[in-house]
Amino acid sequence: MKKWVKEDLWRHIVLLVTCFFVLFPIYLVFLSALSPTGSLQVTSFIPKTISFNNFHLLFHSPKIPYLIWMKNSIVIAGLVAVLSVVIGAASAFSFSRLRFRGKKQGLQLLLLVQMFPAILSLSAVYVIMERVYNFAPHIGLGTEPGLLLVYLGGAMGVNIWLLKGFVDSIPIELDEAAKVDGASAVQTYWLIFVPLAAPILAVVSLLSFIGTFNEFILARLFLVDQNSRTIAVGLQSFISGQYATNWGPFAAGSIIASIPLVAIFLSLQRYIISGLTAGSVKG
Amino acid sequence: MEKLFQRKVTVTLKYITVALVSAILLLLIESSFAKREYAISAFLTVGLIAIAITYLTNFSIPMKFFLPGMFFLFAFVVGPILYTIAMSGFHYQTGNYISKPESITQILAGGIRPDAAQTTFDIIIGEDPAKNLEILASDPTNKKYFLATATTKTDLDPAGLAIDGNGDATVAPGFTPLTPSQQAAQDKALADTRFAYSSDYFITIEGGNVASLKEQSLKYDSSTDTFTNVLTHTVYRDNGTGNFANIKDKNDQLQPGWRAPIWFENYAKLFTDPQIRSALIPVFIWTIVFASLTVLTQFALGLLIAMTLNRKLHGRRIYRSILILPYAMPSIMSILIWGGMFDTEFGAINHLFGTHVHWFQSALYARLAVIIVNLWLGFPYFYLICSGALQAIPAELSEAAAIDGASSRQIFRKITLPLLLQVVAPLLVASFAFNFNNFNIIYLLTGGGPQNTLGGAVAGSTDILISYTYKIAFSAGNQNLGLASAISVVIFVIIASISLYGIRRSKVLDSFK
Repeated sequence: MKKWVKEDLWRHIVLLVTCFFVLFPIYLVFLSALSPTGSLQVTSFIPKTISFNNFHLLFHSPKIPYLIWMKNSIVIAGLVAVLSVVIGAASAFSFSRLRFRGKKQGLQLLLLVQMFPAILSLSAVYVIMERVYNFAPHIGLGTEPGLLLVYLGGAMGVNIWLLKGFVDSIPIELDEAAKVDGASAVQTYWLIFVPLAAPILAVVSLLSFIGTFNEFILARLFLVDQNSRTIAVGLQSFISGQYATNWGPFAAGSIIASIPLVAIFLSLQRYIISGLTAGSVKG
Repeated sequence: MEKLFQRKVTVTLKYITVALVSAILLLLIESSFAKREYAISAFLTVGLIAIAITYLTNFSIPMKFFLPGMFFLFAFVVGPILYTIAMSGFHYQTGNYISKPESITQILAGGIRPDAAQTTFDIIIGEDPAKNLEILASDPTNKKYFLATATTKTDLDPAGLAIDGNGDATVAPGFTPLTPSQQAAQDKALADTRFAYSSDYFITIEGGNVASLKEQSLKYDSSTDTFTNVLTHTVYRDNGTGNFANIKDKNDQLQPGWRAPIWFENYAKLFTDPQIRSALIPVFIWTIVFASLTVLTQFALGLLIAMTLNRKLHGRRIYRSILILPYAMPSIMSILIWGGMFDTEFGAINHLFGTHVHWFQSALYARLAVIIVNLWLGFPYFYLICSGALQAIPAELSEAAAIDGASSRQIFRKITLPLLLQVVAPLLVASFAFNFNNFNIIYLLTGGGPQNTLGGAVAGSTDILISYTYKIAFSAGNQNLGLASAISVVIFVIIASISLYGIRRSKVLDSFK
């Protein structure tokens, strides 16, 4: 008993305090989502009445196109996740395995570019897409396809770099064996590399999905129309107003939007962490 | 047989994709060229040619793999970077947003005034036989009548006209009045048309039946590239920084100006302009403090948790699941929730501690709040990293040290920490670089506020460089894209140096050989 106190008690105290710190905001979100007044104005930390009015509001109020926002976010983030990995994996494969002139320069460019935070060229992207809008109104500023293209481009640097690191770690002997058997580069890619890298590709695309789902400022600058907003921008608009009375629906909306992400994250954490150590920092 | 068929399908699909993409690119090239966006048009053309060569011939196998990725990288990352560098060399801000020809057109449109006698005419709006807009104008006092289109003026003889009680002409040969609905349909054309009068004067419509005589008070001479005010004979010349300025008084400028190349002036301003400098220095210092404190606190707490959990413990799995929750939740929502919790009157923080702190009104508390929230968001990342790294440290080392009589503190300081830092150092650097530009937390939590009374007009106490740059680039009514781009370039140089240092240490560059 004494040994337990001496060796483990401080651990439990540290952990419990930290857990309190972690859970406090999360508890408040649930509190405010289930409160009938729908505010984050705390008068008591123990709920007196529980109401699902905020959730009801989210799906039935004509003023809150919550489902449309959710759909926008899932479509955009899903497309970015799939396309950026499909395109990025091929590039990463060539940079890791194939030989060509200018490869070294290409890698240096890639290294430099993946360090460049997308937000630094925000105004340039804005002005360029403003110009694109002038001749192609379907993919320019203010359109979802335009935002998708910008996201895809932005994800490319980091994704290629990350995926290249993974490809490097796959034993090259497999490729060489395939080559000896007469496989072309394209065949090696599809028959050897893709099946081997499938779990990694899934993780990287998951990271892209989370990153895009979380992206705020480009989405806000790009999508002005209420019905084309993403979930992040839409939920922020609840509480950015002068009169912060919409905490209830905001909290309810956040919970619903978070649950799938948290579930995916917790179930795949082992894989995601291996991606983290390779140098990506989640936004 | 089945293999052969499969191959045929793949090849057909490939050609269909190539054809589709080419068709879309071709369309875009055509329309961008038509709108004079030559740079975009040229880029797309190069892309189209590259696609054709790569996928229709066997010119280069590696290109088949990396072309799409490179296309996006150049279009949306490299392109904007170059554009940012280019913009930083321009006088590009509110009032200097358009091109020079557009600016001249707008100055000309604005530089008109009524004639000295302030002459007005009663008019009827109509069309000539060729369906051009035409007005039938009457000057009852001087008994003068005429028809005018944008290009011609025809005087009418009062004797042959039907004159109404007000002394206005009502019909004229070849003139067809427009109905009110027809007029409404041509509203913009009517407002913009200058009807001919004499070489120096023209007529603009003021209302449904009134027009007034105007003269061009500012005249543009394209041979000398100057504007001249007809009345005062003031001459305005291109001042080299995007405005026509009075040759005698450089502060008397014609609006609007245009975006003009000024090379390194935006960069020079960062260091010499006292107003910008006084805002920039505190922001820069806070950016470094913020990024360092964030990394330190996140790492310290992460490491502490990793060490407490680095042995068998009751409830270890539960602790672990709870502690990584902040990392799994969408960070935008967490930040916004924390923002609500720091509210002075009703926020949970003040309620919990029984305090009444004005978190976002005081610079110190606002900064503290930012650090606390960022700690919450980021420590699980370092917990995960550290717990992985701790497990990788061979237990024999600390056991051997313990046998040699080292205390647990000594073991930590002399063995565990150095080994751990070796693994974690590059990630600390990367995290510093990331937080250096952590726009979301500042923008969503405090908006950069509270307003910094010492600094420039828009910089707040919690503004970091990137959020300050955003304000410069996008604040309504006072955008300065040139200056914002210059700061962006400076930030990038800083970040690139830090990251390259980190990468050199982690020896990534060796793998290039």
